[in-house]
Amino acid sequence: MLVVRRRQGESVLIGDDVEVVVLEAGVNRVKLGILAPREILVFRKELELTREQNRVAATADAVSLSQLASALGSLNLKPGVEEADRHL
Amino acid sequence: MPECRTKYFETMIYTEDSVIRLPNGLPGFELECEFVLIDQPLKRPLVFVQSLQTPDLCFLALPVLSVDAAYRLNICAEDLRVLGLDSSRQPLIGTEVACLVIIAFGADRLMTANLMAPLVINLGTRVGVQAIQTGCNYSHRHPLLAEEPEPVCS
Repeated sequence: MLVVRRRQGESVLIGDDVEVVVLEAGVNRVKLGILAPREILVFRKELELTREQNRVAATADAVSLSQLASALGSLNLKPGVEEADRHL
Repeated sequence: MPECRTKYFETMIYTEDSVIRLPNGLPGFELECEFVLIDQPLKRPLVFVQSLQTPDLCFLALPVLSVDAAYRLNICAEDLRVLGLDSSRQPLIGTEVACLVIIAFGADRLMTANLMAPLVINLGTRVGVQAIQTGCNYSHRHPLLAEEPEPVCS
């Protein structure tokens, strides 16, 4: 991994047409500004991880369902707590 | 009463109050905006999140507090706006919002829950969003069961 030290207001260039600017640098977080052509998708990595997990979750089948249902008994579920979510 | 075809239960009758609307869909399924929550008493606390548009799309989910009783929400202001909630504070699970985690089955059939991005539903309006939690250390692949102990040969 390439590591570059940058201060607030400085930027890095990626390829010919992507610029990442450090807008704010705090103790635990930074605020980045990204200048890129419209056709380049920019999103947080967590979104892509969730997209992948959702795609995997959608492939669940009757076997997964019975596996989960039988495991529910051995999960350490808090009775009563989930009732609050059951008002749906 | 309306009917829908479902992935696990063939055709079911549902009531309007079991329908949730997700204005943004779900990541990876952005066009799926209407789901019905199916609650099977014998399978509680499991919740089936069945698409109304696609019969073959149904997520298996659990209330987040049944997976982690100490779970804390950290929904970003933008998602709180989608939910139509006060963006200056976090909503209460169970009274203001329902919070479900989607279960995935890996290639090895390991069951994991996406604690990083729970499905949060405003209980008043039934509008929901899969809220990607920021600044938290919840995993998108939280194992549901502790690993089985290795069999010991005598």
